[in-house]
Order: sequence, then structure tokens, then C-alpha cells
Amino acid sequence: MSVGESGVSEFLRSYLTVGWFGIAAVVLAGLLLWVASLVRPSRPGHEKLLTYESGVDPVGEGWSQSQVRYYIFALLFVVFDVEAVFIFPWATQLERYGTFGLVEMGVFVFVLLLGLVYAWRKGVLRWV
Amino acid sequence: MLTSQFLLLGAILFCIGVYGVIARKNAVLVLMSIELILNSVNINLLAFALRNGSADGHTFALYIIAVAAAEVGVGLAMVLLIYRNRRSIGLDELSEMRG
Amino acid sequence: MSLVASSAAAWTAPVIDYHALAPEIVLAVGLSVVLLVDLFTAERNKWLLSVLTGFTLLGATLPVLTLAIHDDSVRSLFEGRYVVDEFSLVMKGLFLLAGYVIVLLSSAYVEEGDYWRGEYWFLLLTSLLGMVMMSSSRDLVSVFVALEFLSIPAYMLAAWRKRDLRSNEAGVKYFLLGVFASAVMLYGMSLLYGVANSTLLVDIGESIDLDGDFAAVQALAVVFVVVGFAFKVSAVPFHTWAPDTYEGAPTPVTAFLSVASKAAGFIALVVVLLTAFPAGRDVWQPFVWVLSALTMTIGNVFALRQTNLVRMIAYSSVSQGGFVLMPLAVAGGAAGDAALRAVVVYLVVYAATNLGMFGVILAVSRKTRSSDIASLGGLFSYAPALGVLLTIFLASLAGIPPLGGWIGKFAAFQALLTDATPWAYVLAVIGAVNSVIAFGYYGNVMREVWMRPVPHGDNTPIVTPSSLQIALGITAVATLVLGILPGVVLHFGDIANLVGAFGG
Repeated sequence: MSVGESGVSEFLRSYLTVGWFGIAAVVLAGLLLWVASLVRPSRPGHEKLLTYESGVDPVGEGWSQSQVRYYIFALLFVVFDVEAVFIFPWATQLERYGTFGLVEMGVFVFVLLLGLVYAWRKGVLRWV
Repeated sequence: MLTSQFLLLGAILFCIGVYGVIARKNAVLVLMSIELILNSVNINLLAFALRNGSADGHTFALYIIAVAAAEVGVGLAMVLLIYRNRRSIGLDELSEMRG
Repeated sequence: MSLVASSAAAWTAPVIDYHALAPEIVLAVGLSVVLLVDLFTAERNKWLLSVLTGFTLLGATLPVLTLAIHDDSVRSLFEGRYVVDEFSLVMKGLFLLAGYVIVLLSSAYVEEGDYWRGEYWFLLLTSLLGMVMMSSSRDLVSVFVALEFLSIPAYMLAAWRKRDLRSNEAGVKYFLLGVFASAVMLYGMSLLYGVANSTLLVDIGESIDLDGDFAAVQALAVVFVVVGFAFKVSAVPFHTWAPDTYEGAPTPVTAFLSVASKAAGFIALVVVLLTAFPAGRDVWQPFVWVLSALTMTIGNVFALRQTNLVRMIAYSSVSQGGFVLMPLAVAGGAAGDAALRAVVVYLVVYAATNLGMFGVILAVSRKTRSSDIASLGGLFSYAPALGVLLTIFLASLAGIPPLGGWIGKFAAFQALLTDATPWAYVLAVIGAVNSVIAFGYYGNVMREVWMRPVPHGDNTPIVTPSSLQIALGITAVATLVLGILPGVVLHFGDIANLVGAFGG
């Protein structure tokens, strides 16, 4: 099949809707904030300018180190998350690919599981 | 035609990425620049797939996404490794060996 | 998306030729087993892993042999995306045997360190699987996936000694430049796909037309792809990672990178140049010519001034890469078959010799704990066998006649002379001059071994583990046999009929 000019403009029109929606959202929110700023009194104070007006005082800078454990979890997440990229196209056509597809996906998932077993045996999955 | 605009976007991203790899001294920023190049490739592939009406480009892009994730995993692990051993991720400070 | 669904009408499961895929399947099963065994065995039983890795590699060699004997026809899988022909079988055999020798070289080294043994063997097998896949890939996607498959474990192997700053640096430099190179190459590939509307290398070959509308795009794409591979094979000026990575990585890993990883880069380059770009040879031939001349010369000049043995070998291997590129600079013309044969022969010979070289370095450094050239002083007086072996390997690298290296150089020059163009002759002269320069640094090492005194008068003999002895035996015999009976490899010349076979 080919995607001709009509396909492209249709494609653009669907984005146009998104565009109009975005513009409407910005205009509406801006309008409300502007009206509110006309009527409300303005008395800034130290307490009010804190990032969190009530709650814990922020300590240190925004660029702080986080624990290395988060990195390992994030990495595990990213790897498994991205591998789903191969599973989705298969899942949408599950019946068409039949047994062959099922076996292939079984092999694929088995290899992924090997990774998970590795992570488990190395104690990565435990939050110490 | 829409394709050429996508290709232009791809080319611009590619140039930004190459500039970043060459100019940056911070390992994480270099990694990010490499990701930019890979994404410019993906944009190219998808634009061509749309123009040519074949699914090969889509498949190729999926593989690139998966491999890029693996690369970033290894890359960040290495950045972490040098940070632990020398408390810095500046690439210009990596000069144990010369000659 | 509708694009995918529209081609839905008829889908039949591809017929899979399991015999043709057997080496890959054996490797994949073997590496899964290695991973699981590593996870569920006690520390004292981890020596099993090296044995298991060795058997996996030998097991994968069996189907390569049966395929080679079975019939001569080309087996083409997945609509020509994965081709098992004589060329790919020779390269698979080379990778598996080189992998086996590396297992022998590294088993003592790995057992004696307190590092992650299981991961070492697992990553080694993974990388070898990528190389085996690379020899059969005839499609942009499979070339790319195989390339990353072999590279990513190699990055990790280079940084394997986690606490060692030099190993870290080796890994990071190799990783960043390698990933950058493959990203640039991918950009070229995306342009090729765009013009050809296919990822199959043969289709791309048919679409390239340097007089057509897309000439500029195609020329750009060809250059990008060649640059990407030039990084992989450490061709000057894209070689900057090689010396640092080779010096900093653990020595067995250096042997692996300088032999197997490099050979994989070269065969990918050969396959892409000869199947996808034959029509673009006016673009890449001059480019490869310049790369080859620069690589030989710069590699040699830097090798001359090294005092560290491993670093010297690193520059020497850069310069040897120039000799492999030499026949490729004329591969698009009449000398195509001769050039292809020269590349294969050179890679086989170089693998045997360089692995042996690293075997000797590993054996000697067990005693000296140093990789300075000066630490080899008087090697012959206290370890005559190692001294003689080192001399054989050095002489082979230098290309002295009765040894393997000579056959490699001979085939490369022969390809240039077959082409018989002025530029080919000029490159042959540059190659000849460089062969002579190379005697300088190889001879320097020989002088240390035979004539210099032993440092500190320390004459204790070297204890070589039996696995290392076997590895040295295999490589020495291979180097000698290839030199004395060149027919063994020159027979591979028949694979030169590749360009036809690629079409399959």
C-alpha cells in the first residue's frame, strides 16, 4: 500500500486538531490567570516564596545525587520496557502468526527471563 | 512534500548530535548527543518508510530503539564506574595512557 | 498501524533451515547454559565455566564442518537476508577457532584473578555469536544487529577489571567511539534505505546509480557507512581509541579485540562494499586507498617509538589493518576476486600469528609482571621455547618468507598487481616501504630476546600452564603450516566467487 498525498494531509489534519486543542488550552488558562491577577491582592512573603509553602523545607540544590540503586532499577525497567517494543507488534497480529509466532515469542521471552534470573541471583531485586 | 521536512529535522538533529559528541567533555552529555544521532536516524527511517510505503523502515527503527537502550545501559554503567573510581566524569581527564 | 495490517493477506511461516543455523543455535544454547551454571554453582566449581565455553565453541564448529562438507550450494535464509555460503563458513570457522584459542589463552588468567569469571565467559560467547552472525548477514538490519551484538559485550570486556583505572579508561574510550561510529553508520544506512526502498544489500546494490537523481545522497551514505566500519577496524584517522583500549584492557581481551573483533569489522566492510556498493566504487575506492596508505604508515611510525610491548603490538595491528585494506582499494574493479581472497587469507594468517604473539606475552608477563619491551631481555637464555616462538610470530608479522604472514602479504600485493592501474602500483610501493619499516620494531623486540642481558639477572624459568601451552602449539603450527603449505588457505580462493554467491 502506498501513502499518497491524501494520506499525508489526513495525517496533518489529525495533528491540526491537537494543535487547536493546545492553543485553546493555553489561551483559556492564560485568560483565567490574568483575570485572577486583576482581582487578587499581592502580598509576597518569605514563607510564601518557598518551593513548598507548607511541608518540609527544601535542603541543598536541585542537582543532588540520588542513590545508585535507583540507577539499577531504572536500567532494569528501561531494558524490559523497551523489549516490549517487539512484543506489541506481535500481539496485534497474534492469530495470524499462529504457532510459529508463539514459539518465536517464547524463545524471546525466555532470553529476557534469563536476564531477570541473572538480576535476581545477583541480588539486584532486593531493596536493602 | 512532508518527507523533506522530516529529513531536514533528521539532518539538524544529526548535526547537533555530532557537534555535541565533538564539543562536550562530559561523558553523560556525549551519551545524550549519541542518542540524538540515533533518533535522527529513526526519524529518517520513518519518513522514508512513510514515503516508500514499506514496513522495513519501521522494523529497522524498532531494532534501533532496542539497541539504543542497551547501549545507554552499558554507557551509563561505565560512566558510573569511572565516577566511582575517580569522582569525575570529565572525558578530558581520562589520560592514564599516552603515546 | 495500517501499513502493517495491509500486508496481512498472506503470511506463511518462513521455512527455517536448521542445519544452516546450527552453529548459531549451539552458541546461543551454550551461552545460556554458561550463564545459568555461573549463577547456580559454588565459587570453587567455577573452573567448569571455561571448560563449558571451550566445548560450546568446539560444538559450534562441528556444524560448520558438516555444512562445508555437505554440499557446495549456497543456503539462503529469510529471502536472502541471511546467507550461508563458503565465505561465511570460512569466517565462522575462523571466529570459532580463534575464540577457542582465546579461551585457552585466558583460562589461567581468569582463574588467577578475583574478577567476575562467569561474566567473562558469557560476554566472550555473546560477542562470538555476534561475529558468527555477522559473517552471514546480507541485510542492513542484520548487519547492524550483528555489529552491535559483537560490540556491546566487547565494550564490557574491555572494562572488565572494574577497579583498574586503565581498564575503565579503555572501556569508556572504546565504548564512546564505537557507539558514535555505529550511529554515524546508521545515518548512512537510513539514507541508503530511503533511496533503495529495501534493506537488502543486493537491492541497495541495484539502486545505486551515481549518475542518477540521488547521486549526492548515495555518495554521502556510502562515505558514512565506510567511516563507521573504519572506526571498527581502527583505520587511521579513526584509530585513536585502539592503542589506549589495547593497552588498558586485560591482555586476553586485547588479543580478542585485535583479532576477532577486527576481523568481524573487515568482513562486514567487505560484504557491504562488494554487495551493496559495487556501483559506487568511484566513491569508495579512492577513500579506501587513502585510509589504507595512512593506516599502514601512521601505524608503523607510532609503533617504532613505543617502549611498551602491548602498545607496540596495538600500533602494529593498526598498521596490519592497512595491509588488509590495501586489496580492498582495488576490490571494485577487475581484481575483485583476488582482493577478496587476499582479505580472507590475510585475516586467517593474521589471526593465527597475533593470537600466538599474545600467548607469548601472557606467558612471559606471568613472570615479569611487566609489559615493557625491555622486560623481554634475554628471554631466550632462560626460556628458549618461548624465545623461539616469539621470534617465529614476530617474523610472521613482519612477513618473512617461510611463515604465514608472508602468504598474507603476498596475496595482498598480488591483488594490487592484478588490478594493474597506476594507483594500485603506487599503493603497492607504499605497502612495500611499510613492510620494510616494520622490520625496525619487530627486529628491536627480537634483539631484546636474543642479545640483551636478563634484567636484574633473574633467571628463574617461566612456568606455563598447560592450556597456554596448547594455545601456543596451535597458533605456532598454524603459522608454520600456512607459510609452508600456502595451498591450505589459497584454496579458499575458490570462495572468491563470492560476488555471485552474495546474490543468493
